[in-house]
Amino acid sequence: MEAVLDILSWILIVIGGTFGIIGGLGIVRLPTFFTRIHAAGMTETMCAAPIVLAMMLQAGWSLVTFKLAAILLFLFLTSPTSSHALAKAALHGGVDPMATRDPEEPEEAEG
Amino acid sequence: MFTAAAIAVLITMALAVTRAILGPTVYDRIVAVNMFGTKTVLIIAVIAFLKGRHDLLDIALVYALINFIGIVAVLKFFEYGEFSRGGRGRP
Amino acid sequence: MIEPVIDILLLAFMIVIALAVVRMRDLFGVAMLFSLFSLLSAGVFTVMDAADVAFTEAAVGAGISTILMLATLTRTARRERPRAKGVPILPLTVVFITGALLVFGTSDLPRLGDPDAPIHQHVADRYLQRSGEEIGIPNVVTSVLASYRGYDTLGETAVIFTAGIAVIALLGLRRRRPRQERKTDGRDALGETTVMPTAGMADERVPGRPEKGGDG
Repeated sequence: MEAVLDILSWILIVIGGTFGIIGGLGIVRLPTFFTRIHAAGMTETMCAAPIVLAMMLQAGWSLVTFKLAAILLFLFLTSPTSSHALAKAALHGGVDPMATRDPEEPEEAEG
Repeated sequence: MFTAAAIAVLITMALAVTRAILGPTVYDRIVAVNMFGTKTVLIIAVIAFLKGRHDLLDIALVYALINFIGIVAVLKFFEYGEFSRGGRGRP
Repeated sequence: MIEPVIDILLLAFMIVIALAVVRMRDLFGVAMLFSLFSLLSAGVFTVMDAADVAFTEAAVGAGISTILMLATLTRTARRERPRAKGVPILPLTVVFITGALLVFGTSDLPRLGDPDAPIHQHVADRYLQRSGEEIGIPNVVTSVLASYRGYDTLGETAVIFTAGIAVIALLGLRRRRPRQERKTDGRDALGETTVMPTAGMADERVPGRPEKGGDG
């Protein structure tokens, strides 16, 4: 039983780590601002959830598991909200959403 | 195994810091700080497991909430120029 | 075995962010980088097993301090004015000499966590030994802060309360007064036209006329 839990934890950590690094590469390499929100949102769910689930499997039935479940719940509730708020604020602030122009010059927003 | 998780999260944090320093607009920096905040929650939880001290998970829990509130407050600033509509500030 | 690596990487990130803060001219970006810096120091405190300090640093540094800096920046300029050209020789010399003296002074300090250090000899020993039976709180840090050094904590709380009141007074985060803080051209802070019954105060919506009364 322990070996099964360990193997599952390893698989989840590898999945989480891979998606995290892919998301990190995305946020550095993607051309415009609104595309980078996708990369950041991907790390908040596909990197955080598997790693927290792996820790929950390692901890067994204890208070630690419930704390981790609470962390996961808060992350899932707050990440989409903050991504949406960020996109809305940027749109109102004047960042150009269309990527048809030269992607190296996003329009600077004035506060 | 948590060593591997810690290394992966640290690499992601390094990439987020790169975007925070590079990002031409200030909104890029806000995205990077938001992403860095959730990675910090993860790295604190992983450190808590590595050291065996499970009470450090409370820090991760608190910070997951404060990250959200902080980012929303910052965005309210950038959208309205003040904390609440009708306060004193420039839009 | 992974903990020194985490420590070194977090401190290296802090150095990079500090250099970026010095070089950047856009002050809103600097406020965001300060938030990152506080997060990294919260991580360093967690690796050093200091849970209370990490709590406080994450809550205050990454949350409140950033928002207060942004609130201040809305009152002042957004970009830093460019500095005059040339290397400032005298300030650089003073900073180098002071830094060298400080580094020389730290060579005399005891090692981190050394049990023979003078700080661990007198009262700290008694707190650790007798805190359980005298106070009864499981966490020794809490029992020192709240009971053995309670007056100190009272003073600090008074100082922080005063600072908070002063900041709120300076930044003007007050509840809105409906008829006295609107702009005189009939638009509210979002630029939308407001339609508001102005019984008895019909002069307020005329552009150009100064506001009467109020403590805006």
